[in-house]
Amino acid sequence: MEQQFTLEETLATDLSQVMPLVERIAQKVLALTASAEETFQVKLALEEALTNAMRHGNLLIAKQVVTVKVKASRERIILDIHDQGKGFDFSNLRDPTQGENTERISGRGVFLMRKLMDDIEFYDAGSGVKMVKTFRLKPGA
Amino acid sequence: MGLLIECKEKGPGVYIVIPKGEINTQTYQILESALRDNAASAKALVFEMGQVSYVSSLGLSAIFRIKLALEERKATLVLVNMQPPVALVFETMKILSAQVFASLQEADEYLDRFLDGVQKGTIKPRTPLT
Repeated sequence: MEQQFTLEETLATDLSQVMPLVERIAQKVLALTASAEETFQVKLALEEALTNAMRHGNLLIAKQVVTVKVKASRERIILDIHDQGKGFDFSNLRDPTQGENTERISGRGVFLMRKLMDDIEFYDAGSGVKMVKTFRLKPGA
Repeated sequence: MGLLIECKEKGPGVYIVIPKGEINTQTYQILESALRDNAASAKALVFEMGQVSYVSSLGLSAIFRIKLALEERKATLVLVNMQPPVALVFETMKILSAQVFASLQEADEYLDRFLDGVQKGTIKPRTPLT
């Protein structure tokens, strides 16, 4: 079984590039952890972060890029996603599970990322996000 | 992984929608375009979710938009038989909780009450979001 991996990629802003990279990283996480549940969680948080970076960060401007850095071991994974946008006010996000927010069409990505990962930190005024997850499940779970 | 959509009529105006695959950034538009006609005319859509292995927030938004379009015409949707990881995403987001059922039988009871309410005029159309 693989013990660790690192990855650094630069993606053009193109939503069709999101899932191939997410899938590639998810396969590596599964090989590392043998945990379908934790792989699902990492995959979902990564998709949300990349999609946010392209749609809300780079505003789907094709010439702007998103950089992705991943460092993973059997104990934990660190995902760092950075776009070229102006950032956003990450301290003042609506809770999409409360009241009338549940009836809104969008605004669920960051909430999901926070729920799925152990630690999530925005930097560069919100144009970068670093997410950490410690793997807890035993292989095969 | 891609997404395939099968849709068949269960009864007058009631359609069973069977998505197979993942509803994600790459596939959510497949779901919306496949159901555009049904969402414009159906009384109810029943999503048989047993073969959906993954859903992200864009997938949730797509299903939610279909729900809103239906409710503006006094129609509805239900989701049945979700795989546990997918059900957990819906539960975490507290989205469509009144429309998620473990089985088709449970959903049928809800749909019977809903369609009865439409007939009696107790179900009102949703005001479109601005």
